[in-house]
Amino acid sequence: MTAGHRRALGWTALVTALAVYPFVDRALGTQTVHAVSDGMIYVLLALGLNIVVGYAGLLDLGYAAFFAIGAYAMGLLNSPVLGSPLYGYAWSFWLCIWLAAAVSALLGVVIGAPTLRVRGDYLAIITLGFGEIIPVAIRNLGDITIDIGGWRPIERLNLTGGENGVNPIGRPYLPGVPFETDPLPWYFLILVIGAASLWAMSRLRDSRLGRAWMAIREDETAADCTGVNPISTKLLAFALGASFSGFAGSVYAAKLQAITPGAFEFQVSIMLLCMVVLGGAGSLKGVILGGMLITLFDRVVLTQTTFMVRWVGRTAGVPALTTADLTLWRWFFFGLGLVLVMLLRPEGLAGRRVRPVAVSVDEADDPRVLEPAPAPSVDAIPRWLRERVPRAALSAPILDVRGVTKRFGGVIALNDVDLLVPQGAIIGLIGPNGAGKTTFFNLVTGLIRPDGGRITFEGAGLAGLRPNAIVARGVARTFQSIRLFPQMTVLENVLVGEHCRLAATVVGAVLRPPAVIAEETRARARARELLAFAGLGEKADDLARNLPYGDQRRLEIARALATEPRLLLLDEPTAGMNPRETETLTELIGLLRRELSLSVLLIEHDMEVVMGISDRITVLDYGTRIAEGPPAEIQRHPKVIEAYLGTGYEQDLATRERSR
Amino acid sequence: MLELADVHTYYGSIRALRGVSLVVSAGEIVTLIGANGAGKTTTLRTILGTVRPRRGTVSFDGHRLDTLATDRIVRLGIAQSPEGRRIFPRMTVLENLELGAFARADREAIAPDLERVFTLFPRLRERATQKGGTLSGGEQQMLAIGRALMARPTLLLLDEPSMGLSPILVDTIFRIIQDINRQGTTILLVEQNARMALRVARRGYVIQTGRIVLQDAAAELLRSDVVRRSYLGEK
Repeated sequence: MTAGHRRALGWTALVTALAVYPFVDRALGTQTVHAVSDGMIYVLLALGLNIVVGYAGLLDLGYAAFFAIGAYAMGLLNSPVLGSPLYGYAWSFWLCIWLAAAVSALLGVVIGAPTLRVRGDYLAIITLGFGEIIPVAIRNLGDITIDIGGWRPIERLNLTGGENGVNPIGRPYLPGVPFETDPLPWYFLILVIGAASLWAMSRLRDSRLGRAWMAIREDETAADCTGVNPISTKLLAFALGASFSGFAGSVYAAKLQAITPGAFEFQVSIMLLCMVVLGGAGSLKGVILGGMLITLFDRVVLTQTTFMVRWVGRTAGVPALTTADLTLWRWFFFGLGLVLVMLLRPEGLAGRRVRPVAVSVDEADDPRVLEPAPAPSVDAIPRWLRERVPRAALSAPILDVRGVTKRFGGVIALNDVDLLVPQGAIIGLIGPNGAGKTTFFNLVTGLIRPDGGRITFEGAGLAGLRPNAIVARGVARTFQSIRLFPQMTVLENVLVGEHCRLAATVVGAVLRPPAVIAEETRARARARELLAFAGLGEKADDLARNLPYGDQRRLEIARALATEPRLLLLDEPTAGMNPRETETLTELIGLLRRELSLSVLLIEHDMEVVMGISDRITVLDYGTRIAEGPPAEIQRHPKVIEAYLGTGYEQDLATRERSR
Repeated sequence: MLELADVHTYYGSIRALRGVSLVVSAGEIVTLIGANGAGKTTTLRTILGTVRPRRGTVSFDGHRLDTLATDRIVRLGIAQSPEGRRIFPRMTVLENLELGAFARADREAIAPDLERVFTLFPRLRERATQKGGTLSGGEQQMLAIGRALMARPTLLLLDEPSMGLSPILVDTIFRIIQDINRQGTTILLVEQNARMALRVARRGYVIQTGRIVLQDAAAELLRSDVVRRSYLGEK
């Protein structure tokens, strides 16, 4: 039996089990369908939260607020009771469920926008506050009176039902389906909504957008410098996460027929977070497992055990047991379970295990000459990269930096620095440690704003552009301390590089029209070609964090190339490499310039590399340009020798020239 | 002084060290060279106890290190400048250096040592009140070395001290290494810059895929064919 058959068989078994289950339950008289249906609603909520927490890595402690908004959207729009300008219309359930999702998504954006510029702990605290505000607001909007000097334009207006909530709420209507009396239709309704949501989510995860979320989670700065717009990507996560809770909330409201603000308190947010963490953040299977475990434990196991304990108490004559109520201990058990999972399986019950990849087994004990890393070959250059080579070389410089100045507090990091990169040139940027070289890169790539001066790329100013917009213009970079997306695969890292050249939207990612499928196929093919060129073809499916150091450096360059740059900024690309690896990398940089007309700005301390491949070199010291010229001139420049090269280099140079 | 005997270290099921044996005698500079991923950093980690060997022993001045907690190992007089710097980014340069001396008993000798570090790295004196995280990469490297020196160790472990430093500072660093060695500190040096490392070291070990494959006087290794072709980049 092939894997495909087994998969199909597994699916058939699962679908059959889910379809047969409520009938078996009825035949056995166990009456668990209600509890399971409610469980599925919470699973759907947890799945929505998983987009925010698991994929985008944004800790949201107030997610129940979106649940409340979904439920109240349904409640207010679909209640037959009059009394509020907002409700009493009893619109159809089938319409309201979409409206609820839309309202939730909208509020997700409204609330997300100001909070997304903060990160980590701060974001968590803001969402915590937001989660508290919503139930309070719902309570207080049940009785509004505006009094302006005796004139009351609004008097005792009941907008939300206040503490009493909304009751009753209209049920869905389908001819011949008994939603009023039977739990079965609810079970199937929720199952269908859940399955559809799951389908949409798994497609989103495997799309351009899912990769962008994970890149943001892994390293926001690196993602920004790889062409992913962090603001819109995070907002999208918030909006989509919220819209799924809108579905869940509206079904919840209609099923329960009544909602009160008490159902959306802080504990609900925490319980949902527990489900995500318990199952494994970022794993759809895990979140379903976590959600089902917690609700079933809460709704079935605890109540049944309570009955049992009381029965034991009665038969054994222990009065303390006869009145025991284990459901009061639910938070104790949740807490205990969470602690155990964190200690024993920190990645969650079904999370992606972080496993080191096996190194090649090498039993040889003799010292051998190590095979050098594969030298880059001209033939391996991906065709699509070649096609992007500018046809006619422009005479104007590709990068023109004039008089940039940057201050950090009282320290002048860069002072009136000029730098030109002609089309297709390799320009070295050297200087003592702390001279401002990386700061210069950060200015060009938009990570920080200059206090003065002008940066022009291909004739257009880069002022005010965010890093991802600058990547889209054609400037890519690597980082001094490698910044990959460690928990993503090698292939995914390169695909994130292609992000800004792809176009799939949310709808496209979910529905996958032929254009999107073609785009995705092409993107993957290109990424694989690029990896083969970088000598990483065999490692496409390894996690980036498991690559040896030299491979990580090359992957970072491959990721930068995937953005289709015309100017490449390399920050100490050979740091930590041995002479062999350094040589290979130097060849690669030369090849990129020669074959792809790529212009390169290079920070490097290995003088053999810099002097060997740079056309011209700029030297910084204390933020000021102290020299500029061709390598031969620079290595004899007295100021450069004094501040940077040292007399040791001079002697080295002399010995080498003598031996020539 | 330091002895590793048949040390096997694993990451999960992956064998990173496959029976490493090496000796560092008091007063020596010993260098460990090898390709990326060969097990150099793992060797240092095993000595400091941040990973534990599954087999074999690590001993230092008669103490067994492979069962001792890392902070106790440091108190025995071992300090390291770790790969990737690992400075405390939200503390000032001065606080970083003072923490280097955290485990020392001779409080009155700390001030002169601080002065010594500032003399070795004038750039750190200029930046003394800045947060560690605002330093450039190379400056952080200086800080990591300075912090290790502040522990006034009898054995200093250096993991790629020259990485990211300007040529003039690479010269300086290797001079400093010889200086502190002359003042009585024993040094185990891991370096990609094998040429420089072998020039300052007395003896050297070559590690390949978790095994020591060569060991000799540094001067001999510099002449060795295998070393020259694999690690010095000569054809």
